[in-house]
Amino acid sequence: MSDLRALQQQLADAMLAGGTPLPGSLRGDGKAGESERLAIYQHGYRMRLREALATEFPGLALLAGRRFAPLLDDYVAAYPSTHFNIRWHGAGLPGFLTRTAPWRDRPELAEMAQVDWAISTAFDAADHATVSAADLAGIAPEAWAALQLHPLTHARLLRCTCNVDAFRRAADRGEPRPALRRWRRARHLLVWRPALDVRYRQVEAGELPALLGALHGETFAQLCERLAQRHGVAALPRMAALLAQWLGEGLVGRLTRPGEPTM
Amino acid sequence: MPASRQLPYLGFGLGLRVDHYETLIDEPGNVEWLEIVSENYLVPGGRPLRWLERFRKRFPLVMHGVSMSIGGTDPLDMAYLDQLAALARQVEPAWISDHLCWTGVQGVNLHDLMPLPYTEEALRHVVDRVRRVQDKLGRRILLENVSSYISFAQSQLTEWEFLAAVAERADCLILLDINNVHVSAHNHGFSPLDYLDGLPPARVQQFHLAGHEHGGELLIDTHDAPVVDAVWDLYVEAVRRFGRVSTMIERDDHIPPLAELLTELDHARSLADALMQEAA
Repeated sequence: MSDLRALQQQLADAMLAGGTPLPGSLRGDGKAGESERLAIYQHGYRMRLREALATEFPGLALLAGRRFAPLLDDYVAAYPSTHFNIRWHGAGLPGFLTRTAPWRDRPELAEMAQVDWAISTAFDAADHATVSAADLAGIAPEAWAALQLHPLTHARLLRCTCNVDAFRRAADRGEPRPALRRWRRARHLLVWRPALDVRYRQVEAGELPALLGALHGETFAQLCERLAQRHGVAALPRMAALLAQWLGEGLVGRLTRPGEPTM
Repeated sequence: MPASRQLPYLGFGLGLRVDHYETLIDEPGNVEWLEIVSENYLVPGGRPLRWLERFRKRFPLVMHGVSMSIGGTDPLDMAYLDQLAALARQVEPAWISDHLCWTGVQGVNLHDLMPLPYTEEALRHVVDRVRRVQDKLGRRILLENVSSYISFAQSQLTEWEFLAAVAERADCLILLDINNVHVSAHNHGFSPLDYLDGLPPARVQQFHLAGHEHGGELLIDTHDAPVVDAVWDLYVEAVRRFGRVSTMIERDDHIPPLAELLTELDHARSLADALMQEAA
């Protein structure tokens, strides 16, 4: 190992673990000693990651309150950053909160983190045109059954057991912390970006089967079959209403007609 | 301007920050060019790239990165450089810059601009990497001096000797952050004028002006405050030595209203103009 690499490794270890590099490798003086000088970098590392993650996880910051900083410090201590863009260190935070005590004992934290992260990644996901009602006008009636409606590729459907969306909304609006409400049955939040602004909303129970099917590339006929289990003969008009809603929301990014390659 | 500088003189500019997007596009005031933080636009799409396109049509742009880790001992991140090159094709910047530092080792990113030991070994290492980056990007890059709080017992050269040697041997250019010179001179007890005197004028392509904080006996480079008098004085000394150099105010935190930065920019312009008239 070169002297330069060895020095960098020692310094990095000292920054991450809070120790000091080999005695004599740094210069101190009357103005400040070696450890005091090194402490500026150690402090800066933790603060920079805290700030970057706070920007990406505003809902989690509001939900966790004064435990947010220790939560982030725990994460950063367990998982040093490896991406050149500091923001991307946030990718592992929801999983960390799911797995790691004591945070895993409050599942709403991981749920909030996954919603925040889905919003963050949708914000600058690749641009996509969305399908409009006019795009459907030319489709022959016999082609509808095999038609696939593909939601935007960055769209995320997230299972939640409490009102984490209220926390995110309050954080975005600078409003006070709402009360945490646990739902008797899990619900799903849909996150997507139709144009430049990210949107999120709860998915109605009757909408969920069709939306899950669409995300899995099922055909229009299969989506109607899913709805028929709940709505019977009203499945087709219900599917038509959902389709109109999805088109209006800018959720559908692509159609695959019969015979076209699926991507 | 020394003939070998070769890149254009852009005048007086600002670091582009989200807080100023709306104001700057509507009322650009006296801003002649903008520096973007490259990493903020290495994204697939969305609002950042939409704004970037608007600014690209309106201002000359330069790209300033924080992730090249030119002094690092991990392999150069070719995926990062590919993204940087792709962004440069889109933005067509007047130049691309990063910092004379390392930012991580063994795959861990410290997200800080870590100083190097100023040794022959480090010099050879950095020069080789600058050449490879310049080959990859197809252009000369600018390297910026960083503020530092530690120095290394094994250093054989001064910081300015090291920076000058990198620039000469690798044939790259210098982004001189006047505030960083002031901060490091204070922290390490060297003369900032010696620093300026030790740099090759023909390689100084850009100035940064910024503010800092006091942290005990040391100065901390926060880039979150107005430029202080001592840095303005050093700027005057830099203009005396290097002539008209593209100059910008760089504020990274506690972003004030645009008007405050425009006032600072006007001050920089008036100082430089007065010196140029004196010299004429």
